[in-house]
Amino acid sequence: MVSSRVIRNLKKEFRQSGLAKLGLALVVVIVLTAVFAPFIAPHNPTDQQLDQSELPPIGFSETTERTSSQMVDGEIQTVTEEVEITADPDHVFGTDGLGRDMFSRVVYGARTSLAVGVLGTLLAASIGVPVGLLAGYHRGRVDDALMRIADISLAFPSLVLAVALIGLWGRAAVDIPDPFVAAGLAPEMPESFVLPITVVIVVGLVNWVWFARVARGEALSLRGQEYVKASRALGADDNTIILRHVLPNAVTPIIVLGTVQVAAIILLESSLSFLGFSGTTLSWGFDIAQGRDYVSSGQWWIASIPGLAIMLSVIGINLLGDWLRDALDPGIEGEGGAA
Amino acid sequence: MSDAFGSGDAAPTGTPGPDDVLSVRDLSTRFFTEEGQINAVESVSFDLREDEILGVVGESGSGKSVTALSLVDLVETPGRITAGEVWYRDPDLAEEFRDTESVRVDGDHVDLRTVPPRVRRSLRGPSFSVIFQDPMSSFNPSITVGEQIAEAVEVQRRARANPRSTRSRTQGYGLGKYLLDGIVPGRDYTSEESMDRAIDLLGQVGIPDPEERVDEYPGQFSGGMLQRAMIAQALAGEPDVLIADEPTTALDVTIQAQILNLLKEIQADRGMSIVLITHDLGVIAEMCDRVCVMYAGEVVERGTLDSVFEDTVHPYTQGLLGSIPDVDDPQARLEPITGNVPSLVDAEMDDRCYFADRCPKAMESCLDKPPEATVDAAADHGAKCVLADREYDPADALPDDYFGAGPGGDAGADDGNPAATDGGEGE
Amino acid sequence: MSFGRFVLKRSLQGIGVVWGVVTVVFALRFVTPGSPINAVAPLDASQETRQAIAAELGLDQPLYVQYGQYIFDLLRGDMGFSYIKGQDVTTLVFGRLPATVELAVAASVVAIALAIPLGVISATRRNEPVDYGATLLSLGGISTPNFWLGIMLILVFAVEFNIFNTSGRGVNVGDVALSFVGPEPVFGTLLTWLAYITLPAIALGTYFMALITRLTRSGMLDELSKGYVQAARAKGLPQTLIRYKHALRNTLIPVITVLGLQLGTLIGGAVITEAVFSWPGLGSLVIDSINDRDWPTLQGSLIVIGTSFVFVNILVDVVYAYLDPEVVND
Repeated sequence: MVSSRVIRNLKKEFRQSGLAKLGLALVVVIVLTAVFAPFIAPHNPTDQQLDQSELPPIGFSETTERTSSQMVDGEIQTVTEEVEITADPDHVFGTDGLGRDMFSRVVYGARTSLAVGVLGTLLAASIGVPVGLLAGYHRGRVDDALMRIADISLAFPSLVLAVALIGLWGRAAVDIPDPFVAAGLAPEMPESFVLPITVVIVVGLVNWVWFARVARGEALSLRGQEYVKASRALGADDNTIILRHVLPNAVTPIIVLGTVQVAAIILLESSLSFLGFSGTTLSWGFDIAQGRDYVSSGQWWIASIPGLAIMLSVIGINLLGDWLRDALDPGIEGEGGAA
Repeated sequence: MSDAFGSGDAAPTGTPGPDDVLSVRDLSTRFFTEEGQINAVESVSFDLREDEILGVVGESGSGKSVTALSLVDLVETPGRITAGEVWYRDPDLAEEFRDTESVRVDGDHVDLRTVPPRVRRSLRGPSFSVIFQDPMSSFNPSITVGEQIAEAVEVQRRARANPRSTRSRTQGYGLGKYLLDGIVPGRDYTSEESMDRAIDLLGQVGIPDPEERVDEYPGQFSGGMLQRAMIAQALAGEPDVLIADEPTTALDVTIQAQILNLLKEIQADRGMSIVLITHDLGVIAEMCDRVCVMYAGEVVERGTLDSVFEDTVHPYTQGLLGSIPDVDDPQARLEPITGNVPSLVDAEMDDRCYFADRCPKAMESCLDKPPEATVDAAADHGAKCVLADREYDPADALPDDYFGAGPGGDAGADDGNPAATDGGEGE
Repeated sequence: MSFGRFVLKRSLQGIGVVWGVVTVVFALRFVTPGSPINAVAPLDASQETRQAIAAELGLDQPLYVQYGQYIFDLLRGDMGFSYIKGQDVTTLVFGRLPATVELAVAASVVAIALAIPLGVISATRRNEPVDYGATLLSLGGISTPNFWLGIMLILVFAVEFNIFNTSGRGVNVGDVALSFVGPEPVFGTLLTWLAYITLPAIALGTYFMALITRLTRSGMLDELSKGYVQAARAKGLPQTLIRYKHALRNTLIPVITVLGLQLGTLIGGAVITEAVFSWPGLGSLVIDSINDRDWPTLQGSLIVIGTSFVFVNILVDVVYAYLDPEVVND
């Protein structure tokens, strides 16, 4: 539980660790970016301006061959000329193949990644934690069954299982109206945010096992504790004991795991949208997939920039996780990092 | 506080005597932590004679374990030995370094603080051995007991073949060899001879069926048997000095007596010297020839067992003696010492007698740091206490609430990190 | 319990899990929207074909008969027929398996060989530049999506410098071995093999290298602070022996467990790496079969992937028990 000792440890670890500060800074930037995307993005990320396609980021220029047809001596001839494309200060990160502003797409992509990461983790935890606690506390047949289910579930790689389930169920998405746009504060921006709900559900279903394992482990060790035995001797019923004694003590490792899981699920989401198994086109993974086709023709930034965004977000969250783990529970090791 | 203390009237000073296997002078060990500098060992001086058991007693956090680790140069960061001399009697070593400018040599004694670290390391095993408090954590759980003892034998064998050469001990054991060992079992640092010697040693410390037990893992041993095995391991190098750091604390009471008897036998048979560190005055009374009482990193009273126990001067020693039951007078009430050992954080240590805040006889003069005074020169008995020279005078007594909440009220005292102030005891 | 009995017990448990895997895969037919026939038949199949498939699969039979038949077929090595690929699923899947195994093994061998020394050096030289370097490298490694890393590798090494191949498999490792048989060793095949496998292996292995480095470093730090290390120092044991024989051995025990659990991530990673590099393995087959709605192939692939995972984890447990004999007694 969050006691003053926990807070003291957190502060101490934070003071000592430059990496913890970096992690927190990255996470704060990403969260703010995701929440206030309509104000940060300079353009509508879905607006295509074909006459401004493939512009390089600021500071770079690109030489491309441009082919055009001209009338020469009464005949139509194809003329190929070398054109120097320079960056447009209006598009800091350049534009993609359809002339969409990369910076705005990166800003909006943070929403998808973070929303799927957080919601998926919450779903996984809300399935895994109760199941794990009950199994670890009661042991016996419930526990055996859980462990077997966990074994079977672990036998399918997260990504493979997720791809298979989405393949079977289809790619559904829900439109959530953007309150800022609805309030008229950022009129040019997309009116709604597309949440790939199937992805959220699937990553939750795929990753619950990690939470169940940790919660079970905690419940197993806590049920032997004297105070738990004492409460039982005093006649407290099992559910009360789990809620009042076991859960609070299991919170710390679950929070640490949760942090790692947000990072893992962001990676999983990006993989799914890279493979085309997402319900939205505003996602870093999707942009990388688009940019992949331009890699051999020289437009390196279309694939590179969204990847850097993923890397920085995941580094930030992992650093945050390291900080929490070091401060709260030095005993847990980085187990549940399934991507 | 300055380092000028510790060399008062009676404290062992000057050159070590010919009987002294080990002479420690003004040894200070500090830990440099986030919370500040911790003075775990503060100007400690004592002599270890040939063929004796010297007891070092004190509460946990009094610096006795760190003192032990300092002797064998096993203090780890953030700790560091900041001052002092450790004179060790070794004619060969003295000869080797007699002409070396930087090394202090005095007759047969060499100040180990001045020899190269490589040499200090090479003395572990053949000169000094340590028995730690918790045998379960002092053995590697995934290697057989026999092999771990054989390793100690092997260290000595290789050291003898080529004295004080670190290279010969390592003999190319690196990552490559490790990987090879993993693939081809049996290729190892130890040999058949050293394993045989390990069986011998296990037999000598009273482990039944040593041929079988040599192949067992630490987890298959009971605590008492494993402590015997650790003693066997410590004997592998036939050391001059055996440092036993709370060797019985982790064991059952019945086993404790067996282990102590074993130590006593070994000491008698082999004529080695033992530094026995314990918080248990009963153990001291049973085992030791002479005793040092430590408090807050200092030796506050020392001398022969009889003299210290009969003519106790320091109220802290009295307090320790008062907190063990007396068989002859079971009616007498036990008097525990109230309060806790101070945190030893440098910034929080006033320049006074460190015990004054818990002392029932604290007087005005205790606010100055007392030097060590001779109590009984014949018994080598000294004490860092004003009561060595004068009687307690209630008229001079400090008011009860002088140190905040009065004796025992020092709530912040246990806030320090016990692991940092007292090496192995946190395990 | 003896070592042999331990191995037997773990194998029996493993068979149980494989049975579970098969059951889950069988059940996938029924979570598909619409008739199970849709899950098997191609989208454009005629009514007659559908009926033929229904009869062949025994879909008109009671559920337990279907299930029994499914298990029975599997035991005979029959995983069904892919109407889309026009091929026997067993042939299809086992034709693709070696490529994936080759890639996964190459990636993990390189990862382990680099990560363990790096983790040990990092721990023993704590807070020195090499430690900071290793920490940053491993942090980046666990945070980089492998498909993106793959594309970046293609960008730098294939597009800019034109060193490696970026698509396909070239030759398989068996051909490389064969090229060395005979009077004159030929290095050409080896070079071709390297040209194809290097980039995908790096893309897939980086995450594991980073993960193992982190685990080894923190494990070593943990072990080096333990009592037995101090005791080993006190008995005069040389530093290298304390590090490699004592501490590293105990560090590797939990590292191996985590690696076993992370094997799923390795296979998952292989799926996407194969997609980036057009590596003709099981991963590409899985993606293709989903895109083509080729369920028999998907089911067969899932069974093979799940079974391999269980098999490797039993292997991990056996290695674990070998390293830490206490496990056998628990």
